[in-house]
Amino acid sequence: MAGNVKRMIDLIIDQRAKGNPALVKLTKAKISLKGINPDKYTETSEDNPMAIEKLKALAEELNIKLWGDVL
Amino acid sequence: MNIKTAYSTEKNIELAVADLKRQLNGFDPRMLVVFASSSYAQEELTAKIKNGFASALVCGCSTAGEIVSGKMLKESVVAMALNGKVIGDAKIEVIDNIKDLKKVKDAFDSFSRYYNEPAAVMDPQRYIGLVLMDGLSKAEEKIMDRIGDLTNVIFIGGSAGDDLKFTRTYVYGEGKAYTNAAVLVLIKPQVRFDIIKTQSFAVLERKFTATKVDPEARAVIEFDHKPAALAYSEALGVSMDDLNNYLMTNPVGLLIDDEIYVRSPAQIKGTSILFFCNILEGMEVSLLESTDIVGDTRQAILNKKKEMGEISGILNFHCILRTLELERKGQTQEYANIFAEIPTIGFSTYGEEYIGHINQTSTMLTFGTERLDSVESEK
Repeated sequence: MAGNVKRMIDLIIDQRAKGNPALVKLTKAKISLKGINPDKYTETSEDNPMAIEKLKALAEELNIKLWGDVL
Repeated sequence: MNIKTAYSTEKNIELAVADLKRQLNGFDPRMLVVFASSSYAQEELTAKIKNGFASALVCGCSTAGEIVSGKMLKESVVAMALNGKVIGDAKIEVIDNIKDLKKVKDAFDSFSRYYNEPAAVMDPQRYIGLVLMDGLSKAEEKIMDRIGDLTNVIFIGGSAGDDLKFTRTYVYGEGKAYTNAAVLVLIKPQVRFDIIKTQSFAVLERKFTATKVDPEARAVIEFDHKPAALAYSEALGVSMDDLNNYLMTNPVGLLIDDEIYVRSPAQIKGTSILFFCNILEGMEVSLLESTDIVGDTRQAILNKKKEMGEISGILNFHCILRTLELERKGQTQEYANIFAEIPTIGFSTYGEEYIGHINQTSTMLTFGTERLDSVESEK
């Protein structure tokens, strides 16, 4: 399976920023500072288990359901 | 005037507090921010300041040098008083064990109860946070990461200093001084506010990827699968023995949307590099080269003045490494003069906070004069 990291990042940014460009930028910066560079992941990127774990934890914190939509 | 500053170089705490009170006489602060040299007995100083300004919310920290409009000071205490026309409301929370991340969540639960609004949905255009942390705790990244998970509100601030003694730093909350702690203040301003983040570096072409790290020690063991110090020395074109001469002028930076988040090397240890903040495994960082702190800061303030119309106050969280560079270049007064006409206080920090933990940067909270409700109605 590939592309899950990008899908998770996109979903988290969508949910957190709700289309506000400043919040998109802010959320992207926060994810980058967790060690996950959103620009490095595409639909075909191999799934990185460490990134997936960090994003799962973040999604849980934000009450974002990933399972039905992404994984 | 709704924001006033004061400072004292009196060594005696009673006299120093009396000096601050005299300068702020007749002003009714809703909030008082205090930065003080570690040369003062911290518990006594904070208690006496709170006692002297009992009706104000009092917060602050110890420093590695103080800033007040037009001056960069040592062994002094500086204060900013903000009245109710600037600060609509403010709530302080002390995290008395900075390593206990559960306490960050507790603090935000308290903010949510106080403002009757979940922190997760608070509007970052209506709220701003201040964060002051123990500068020797190495806990700043985790605290900032946690804050970022809990809210979209920006928290800006710095890591407390101790005049380069590196033994103990303090944060102040409501008359008490805490070590191994953090102070968070969630403010609901009445006037327009904004943030300045400025660092003076050019981004060079050379990039590194951290391939082996020890995050607890803030160490990079390998860059690009090579011993980190070797990769860094090769990129600079200098010998390993000369590296110490380049740590301050050539840190590295994480680039996010072309914004630089500086990571400064603290020392070379064997073939590893210890940094003043974390570089995580897999992070790509660019080599940087220092430029002109005074020129860049002056321009950043001018740009913000144009955006905001007028700046009525600045809290400046200014990296100690920038202070040392200004001292080395004999530019301290030139830097201080940038703030001469604006009510400003600040301090030389052991790290700056803005979204994450960063180095060799100034993060500033700026207040305007325009009321927030009039800004809203224009939209």
